[in-house]
Amino acid sequence: MTSCWEQKQPVWKELGHEPGVRISSLKGKEQEKTTDVKTIKTPVPVHSPQRSTRNHALLEAAGPSHVAINAISANMDSFSSSRTAALKKQPSHMEAAHFGDLGRSCLNYQAQETKSSLSKTLEQVLQDSVALPYFIQFMELRRMEHLVKFWLEAESFHSTTWSRIRAHSLNTVKQSSLAEPVSPSKQQELASSPPAGWLEERLEGSGVQPDRTASGQNHVGLPGRGGRGSGALALRKTDTGTPSLPADQQESSKLSVSNRNSPSSALKDLSGKLMKSIERDAVSTFTKYISPDAAKPIPITEAMRNDIVAKICGEDGQVDPNCFVTAQSIVFSAMEQEHFSEFLRSHHFCKYQIEVLTSGTVYLADILFCESALFYFSEYMEKEDAVNVLQFWLAADNFQSQLAAKKGQYDGQEAQNDAMILYDKYFSLQATHPLGFDDSVRLEIESNICREGGPLPNCFTTPLRQAWTTMETVFLPGFLSSNLYYKYLNDLIHSVRGDEFPGGNIALSIHGPGSSPDSDSIGSTDGSASQSNIKKANVKILKNFDEAIIVDAASLDPESLYQRTYAGKMTFGRVSDLGQFIRESEPEPDVKKSKGSMFSQAMKKWVQGNTDEAQEEMAWRIAKMIVNDVMQQAQCEQPLEVTKL
Amino acid sequence: MSRHGLQVGVFCGKRRVGQVRKYKWIKGGWRRDRAEGAGADEDSATMATAPYNYSYIFKYIIIGDMGVGKSCLLHQFTEKKFMADCPHTIGVEFGTRIIEVSGQKIKLQIWDTAGQERFRAVTRSYYRGAAGALMVYDITRRSTYNHLSSWLTDARNLTNPNTVIILIGNKADLEAQRDVTYEEAKQFAEENGLLFLEASAKTGENVEDAFLEAAKKIYQNIQDGSLDLNAAESGVQHKPSAPQGGRLTSEPQPQREGCGC
Repeated sequence: MTSCWEQKQPVWKELGHEPGVRISSLKGKEQEKTTDVKTIKTPVPVHSPQRSTRNHALLEAAGPSHVAINAISANMDSFSSSRTAALKKQPSHMEAAHFGDLGRSCLNYQAQETKSSLSKTLEQVLQDSVALPYFIQFMELRRMEHLVKFWLEAESFHSTTWSRIRAHSLNTVKQSSLAEPVSPSKQQELASSPPAGWLEERLEGSGVQPDRTASGQNHVGLPGRGGRGSGALALRKTDTGTPSLPADQQESSKLSVSNRNSPSSALKDLSGKLMKSIERDAVSTFTKYISPDAAKPIPITEAMRNDIVAKICGEDGQVDPNCFVTAQSIVFSAMEQEHFSEFLRSHHFCKYQIEVLTSGTVYLADILFCESALFYFSEYMEKEDAVNVLQFWLAADNFQSQLAAKKGQYDGQEAQNDAMILYDKYFSLQATHPLGFDDSVRLEIESNICREGGPLPNCFTTPLRQAWTTMETVFLPGFLSSNLYYKYLNDLIHSVRGDEFPGGNIALSIHGPGSSPDSDSIGSTDGSASQSNIKKANVKILKNFDEAIIVDAASLDPESLYQRTYAGKMTFGRVSDLGQFIRESEPEPDVKKSKGSMFSQAMKKWVQGNTDEAQEEMAWRIAKMIVNDVMQQAQCEQPLEVTKL
Repeated sequence: MSRHGLQVGVFCGKRRVGQVRKYKWIKGGWRRDRAEGAGADEDSATMATAPYNYSYIFKYIIIGDMGVGKSCLLHQFTEKKFMADCPHTIGVEFGTRIIEVSGQKIKLQIWDTAGQERFRAVTRSYYRGAAGALMVYDITRRSTYNHLSSWLTDARNLTNPNTVIILIGNKADLEAQRDVTYEEAKQFAEENGLLFLEASAKTGENVEDAFLEAAKKIYQNIQDGSLDLNAAESGVQHKPSAPQGGRLTSEPQPQREGCGC
């Protein structure tokens, strides 16, 4: 081990000899590897050993060699397989020796689990059926819901059209010669059916328009299939997200190869119907969102509109399934830049978070990757005197994330120094904050750090997994039933209530006119500022009633007036796991409850002593609460979902 | 049914991770041994963290170029010691300490971020929900002062509009190598609405004041209503006032029947 610490420069030469062999032995998909190599800036192509040896001097200075890069990419792509490989080396640790084994036996840590369901990107929100309604509500408040709806419709049009076309093509027999040009017959077909007026004009007006996309090739061959009966044609609709475009185009190019069919009337009918229905969908989406006389057109340029029209009425009347893609991406970036960060600060997002947190399945990832939850969880861990586990997890995870983000282009020495800092703090025999990792883990870490070329982004995966499992099994359940967590939920609910009240008014007044990007962004910042001003005003107004009292009336929950502390499961009690009988009605029998009814107890809860002042304050608070509740109900334009909280 | 006490701890491997809790058999159940509630703080860097000794928790972040002394400031504040050769921070770390403002005990949860450029992306995610931010530069290195506008932009973009930002000129003890005057930094702070102090993590000068001043400003914001302390992203946890008799206010004990480890 000492030799490793003394070595200053990672030795690259030995690695450079057989790039070909290394590549073939690595796991991972070939395609991905080549794209990885392309994204890396080294000028050396993978498959020319001569050039690589020539450029070795360059590479040594520049950083990890392309071989190391491949190794790193392969490792990043196959986190789980490398982890299970590591585990297989040490089968003894599959057994939990005792409860506090740091979860060695647990395999459910996912290194890729970096998402909290409480922190979302726009893309995630658009595909999450739980978060999406809240986003739509938020956008409705800003009168920009047409952006979301267009995006969703365009997305579903895209995926269903492709799948219909694919399904249709798969059901044809490719026997005969090339299909004859079908444009005249297709046009006849279309002319015979009653299309929308403008569509007819376009068809008659335009000649054959050059359509250079791969999908265009597919379209030429589509109608007039031969062979099979109609039964196999399934117009499947897919609900799920985006099929990736490259895959589509690959498939369509495959299809165009097999486009040698003899026309058959039955299938021609079906293909005609298919085409018509696709067109109908495209036209309806167009009319709703893109046409200049739509109720709420999306913000795209005239040129783009014309382009979409051209794609909808493509040659032979084929609709390009990708016709809305450019518009979609414009709408997406508009939503992301102008609206999404506001959404994350809005009470709608809070409501969504509350829904997640009260759904009964809160995972550790939801807590650790969401800053507001992490604030409370850190406090909890500190109370449990286990903060070092959390600190280690944070530091090591950050270390690995920033290494992984470099995609192989990092200074091995620097990474090694960083890793050594963590080692000295948590792993070494003289560690300042020992966590009790045992020798095998320590040795593994040592070899990972000492690795030629510096540590890889999965250097600390084993101890990270152990720390994760410990937090998940030992501390998370306690946290989720702690008062800290309850307080967090309360704060979220309060944020919802606080925002809902002034929120509706502000949105209407600011976002009245147009949808130009500039005015929207200015409007939104104004909105938030005046929201907080109005909130301030609310508190100030309340203060005028009585200068001496500072009260957060909005935080008092009117429901708590009616809640009974011990309203439980209608049982007398239960037997705890220590064999104690715990009465449901009085969990703490040895504690003296003050005499008096439940109501006076509730009063005492708020009262700091029994002075007149305090009682007055309490009475005033309750009154404020009731007023607040009533006002909220009156102001609230939406159906009474608030009470669900 | 033993009349002896019961000690419970959480162990990971051979080391104890959780707190040792002592229980006694009282009135038909294992109850926390109240006499020893406040003890067992061996490794803890913080001052007494007896349950609910404080009414508020404020979240702070410390940001600034690498090597300006962020970790040393934190360490001086929480441990009252100067770390002469502390290694650079990997990602983030946090430390805590309880202070008193206007008669209220407030716990500060201070997140110390790495200054190296390579950690910038990961540390950004910890800015959100901070009640206070300490922006630190080194008075002996002009470049750290010049980068302040970029740090300030990040801070403004990623934190709440109400977040209190205080500018700290660290290494004030190295007067001979001063590269940034007090006046110009003061002007920069005033132009941007920041509090400003020069401090020295080595001697301890103004270190406590730095954290205290920010806390006072935050507390003032709470009092006049501009900071809603019941909002989830405010960076403030508010606990009910000090327990009276232990049962009327919320406490973690009641939900743990018997031995809760």
